[in-house]
Amino acid sequence: MPDDALGRPFGVPARREPVVPNGVLGMLIFVATEVMFFSGLISAFVIGKSNALGGWPPPGQPRLPIEETALNTAALLASGVALYFANRAFQKDSPNTKRLLGLAIGLGGFFVLFQGAEWIALIGEGLTITSGQLGGYFYLLVGTHALHVVAGFLILLYTYRKLSEDQLDRFTFWPAQIFWYFVVGVWPILYWQVYL
Amino acid sequence: MRVWMRLARAGLALAAVSIAWAADLAYACPSCASPLEENRQAFVDTTIFLTVVPLMMMGGFIWWIRRKLREQNDLPEIAVPQDLLRDAGRFSKRP
Repeated sequence: MPDDALGRPFGVPARREPVVPNGVLGMLIFVATEVMFFSGLISAFVIGKSNALGGWPPPGQPRLPIEETALNTAALLASGVALYFANRAFQKDSPNTKRLLGLAIGLGGFFVLFQGAEWIALIGEGLTITSGQLGGYFYLLVGTHALHVVAGFLILLYTYRKLSEDQLDRFTFWPAQIFWYFVVGVWPILYWQVYL
Repeated sequence: MRVWMRLARAGLALAAVSIAWAADLAYACPSCASPLEENRQAFVDTTIFLTVVPLMMMGGFIWWIRRKLREQNDLPEIAVPQDLLRDAGRFSKRP
């Protein structure tokens, strides 16, 4: 008996997959709420910035490290690109998947560590969450994003472990990617608004 | 009984509408009464942004689901030999 393109015997009713897997749908809804959360924070910051008397950044406050953070931004964006290619390799069942996923995780880890070092330097210069509007907004916006990066980093580590055990399926990998792309995508907006 | 019910409903509706007369200026946000033009503009811009973003997300999601459904409708209900599948073209009724 001839089989069809998917290897099913001829005439057998097709078992259809859901249009959107549950994990993907759940992650999309979660990311939508996160988009609104960050939109609210950014809007508050934009209004606060425009309301500041004496210009922005406020005088007498430490300057934010624009160039160093540009490098860190590039690392995070490269992490997103590496994850994209990891997914392509995963779809082709290529052995490069592990290497590319490892690269994405490594770059994400670099971003977190670099930002930690940046925070230590800024606190040393006197920029704290209570030192003024700049410090308050900076730690709120960048700190919230950093928490998301750490969460995404842990999710990617989980997918890497699953991949190492040869148990990773696309229903696990896809939601993890959606979250990481969100984390990567929101950062340039924060960098543009907060640092530049 | 029905007349009383209608009167009660009309009374409630009138009471709800009459609240509109009580409305006055509210200085709930720092931007509403700000003398700075830049601040007022930022308030307008962020209002537009926060209105458009959820609508775009919902619209994008509906468009994506619709596309996925169409793709799925293009698949045959039962397993068909590959050569037949190739010749048959699309299985959905859309033109």
